[in-house]
Amino acid sequence: MSTWDCDAVVIGSGPGGSTAAEVLCAAGWSVVVLEKGRNHLIDTEPPHDPLRHFANDELAAHRRHLLGPDPLLEPRSYRRSAEDGDRLVVGEVNNLPSTVGGGGVHADAKLPRFREEDFRLRSERGPVDDASVEDWPLSYDDLEPHYAAVEELFGVAGEAGANPFAAPRSSPYPLPPGDDMPMAVVTAAAAARAGLHPYRAPTGVNSVPNDGRPACTDCGFCGGYGCPVQAKSDPVSALQRALRSGRCDLRPECYATELVLDATGRRATGVRYLDLREHPEPATREVRARHAVILAGGAFETPRFLLRQGLGGDLVGRFLTYHYQTFTVGMFPRDRFPDGTGGERGRSVTHLHDDLMVDTPELRRAAAGAGLPWVRGGVVEHGAGQMPVEEAVTYGAGPHHLDSMRDSALRRRMWVFTMQGEDLPQGSNRVDLDPSVRDVWGLPAGRVTYAPHPHELVASAFAGPLHEAVLTDAGAEVAFSATSPPQGDLDVHLAANPLGVAPASRHVMGTARMGSDPATSVVSAEQRLWGVDNVLVCDSSVFVTSTGYNPTLTLAALAHRATTLLAGAQPSARATASAVRRRKRS
Amino acid sequence: MTIGDPAWRAAVAEALDAAVPGSVELGALDYVEQLLGALDHDPPRIWAAPGSWDGAGGDRPAGAPSWLELGPWERQAWERRIEGWREAYERVAAGRAEEDDLRTVHVHACEGTYGDPAYGGNRDGGGWARIGFPEPLHPPAREVAG
Ligand SMILES: Cc1cc2nc3c(=O)[nH]c(=O)nc-3n(C[C@H](O)[C@H](O)[C@H](O)COP(=O)(O)OP(=O)(O)OC[C@H]3O[C@@H](n4cnc5c(N)ncnc54)[C@H](O)[C@@H]3O)c2cc1C
Ligand code: SF4
Repeated sequence: MSTWDCDAVVIGSGPGGSTAAEVLCAAGWSVVVLEKGRNHLIDTEPPHDPLRHFANDELAAHRRHLLGPDPLLEPRSYRRSAEDGDRLVVGEVNNLPSTVGGGGVHADAKLPRFREEDFRLRSERGPVDDASVEDWPLSYDDLEPHYAAVEELFGVAGEAGANPFAAPRSSPYPLPPGDDMPMAVVTAAAAARAGLHPYRAPTGVNSVPNDGRPACTDCGFCGGYGCPVQAKSDPVSALQRALRSGRCDLRPECYATELVLDATGRRATGVRYLDLREHPEPATREVRARHAVILAGGAFETPRFLLRQGLGGDLVGRFLTYHYQTFTVGMFPRDRFPDGTGGERGRSVTHLHDDLMVDTPELRRAAAGAGLPWVRGGVVEHGAGQMPVEEAVTYGAGPHHLDSMRDSALRRRMWVFTMQGEDLPQGSNRVDLDPSVRDVWGLPAGRVTYAPHPHELVASAFAGPLHEAVLTDAGAEVAFSATSPPQGDLDVHLAANPLGVAPASRHVMGTARMGSDPATSVVSAEQRLWGVDNVLVCDSSVFVTSTGYNPTLTLAALAHRATTLLAGAQPSARATASAVRRRKRS
Repeated sequence: MTIGDPAWRAAVAEALDAAVPGSVELGALDYVEQLLGALDHDPPRIWAAPGSWDGAGGDRPAGAPSWLELGPWERQAWERRIEGWREAYERVAAGRAEEDDLRTVHVHACEGTYGDPAYGGNRDGGGWARIGFPEPLHPPAREVAG
């Protein structure tokens, strides 16, 4: 009998872990995927059809933790700096779903690529005081075939050439762009009048039937919800392929707690996990891997996992980045939003512009005025999507309630530009282990310590008035800007800010950064953990800088590259094989 | 005063209506009662399953359960949460409500007015109708509500 259970164990079934599993299974490896969350996504039994647990249901998705993690079981903590004491907040801290499919289930899947400059920011733009701006140990060209492969895998719908700032592509988008939200067309036109360059967001959502799944119905319950019709492709497409290879064993409710190392301590031989199907005393089990262990728990949980065992060195958890979000809100007259043209129907975001990622004299002036060498903003999302329960809770209790709901400033009259601002890496921003808060299984909770760098504040202050003018030109009666994490009086925000005081961003990055030198990085350019090199990190922990772009396509492309190198396969041949399989099925 | 008896219902109804005027007529009290008793059912009435619309091809079996199962740890969390709410409503009914209790009442009044009718509130979609919110394309199952 073999002493191994599989060739590789993958911890986490989000976009990173699913992509890794798919690549390894396609290369002939046997893979066990451990996922601590429940399975609402895909049948683990052949033919691995979607489970259909999702509906247009604000209560289940937003208020009842259907996709986990339940903060009563898995609390996290947050503080701005050590001056706040051990913590400021306990509970939900930028939680991504903990479920089969991870955050990919909730995301509305804007999947832009990074640009060439993003991989060599230090060389192109230079250092910034009190930040650790470094080049990545790989280039856009190194990643391009893997971007193409994951776009094919996820069936990304988009329009090549629509974004003048986009990096070169070797192939068109696999699917045509999806429907526009009517208000996004209005704000995109206003942005264009202001000299900006809006374009249709590349999206991992079926614009036409594809890969055995239907097209999006524009149901409106998109960002923050599981898709009722499985039109979202990421990560169901990768998981389904892995499972259908017959070589993937997906184990939901299995919480990986430690790496099993050999006697040298330099090679992982497996993973120990708690079997959470058992209650109240979950058994500890072990799965043995012949070749490799892939960490893909996300950029919050991966450092937490490593820190528990003291693996990966002193930099684990440091250089945590989010996107510093600037929301520019336009309040429009009611007649500007005829029925169905706000966020109540359609995907949550259909248009983007990237202009503030590009070097301009105006941005340089803003930087110089603040004593910075440069600033970059981030991708700007045109969207809306407030649902009525959330809206009602925000207005507060009392006699004004019905008037507020009928006026509906936050749902029927609001349109928002969200800038996912580049967040510079700082060693003091980190995930570590909370000294006393624990999860229900007794493991130390992850704790975030985070405060923005002046760069983020300058970029935000630049973007706010610019976007307020665009929304006013689009017809807004009132336009204003706010940020997450919020600025200003902490007590006011603690009492009333619907987004809370911790960063609301669900883009979490940088906590096990990649590099060429073990002294300044946690993993190598092949995403192997320095010191235990058959352990690979395949999530956005490895990002060296945060850029201002949504991270998922890039983390999946990196996972694709790292596991392709691991298994010795060729990306271009694999992408072609995937495309052939897809066309045969549809 | 015990949960569900007339005095309890009257006091809670008054608090719900004070938080969200008109909410009780729209089913918010039924919503609260269904929530507090959610674990008395199997499967528990925490997460409604998708409705029979089945936008992906019509093969959701007739008679499929209308509620999704909770895992054992999720059940543990919901027991704790509901226990906390039961105590809060007892204080509300006894006229001893604390600030946090009134916050809970407000949140539940919103949920019971504008959440899906599957959860016992928003009677006949009346909460949505009064604010012009469109009926969802893919609602959860509603047949066992109440
Ligand atoms: C509402 C919303 C909208 C979003 N929109 C976008 C968007 O438009 N574009 C974009 O690029 N990104 C978006 N995101 C972010 C996106 O979801 C994340 O970037 C992405 O999911 C990260 O993928 P990942 O595989 O690294 O980690 P995750 O998706 O977080 O998956 C990690 C998985 O690992 C599991 N896990 C963790 N630790 C363990 C352990 N010890 N044992 C077993 N399992 C474990 C977790 O339960 C989880 O399921 C959005 C997120 C949300 C919530
Ligand atoms: S808008 Fe489209 S992709 Fe999003 S949840 Fe609805 S059907 Fe799915």
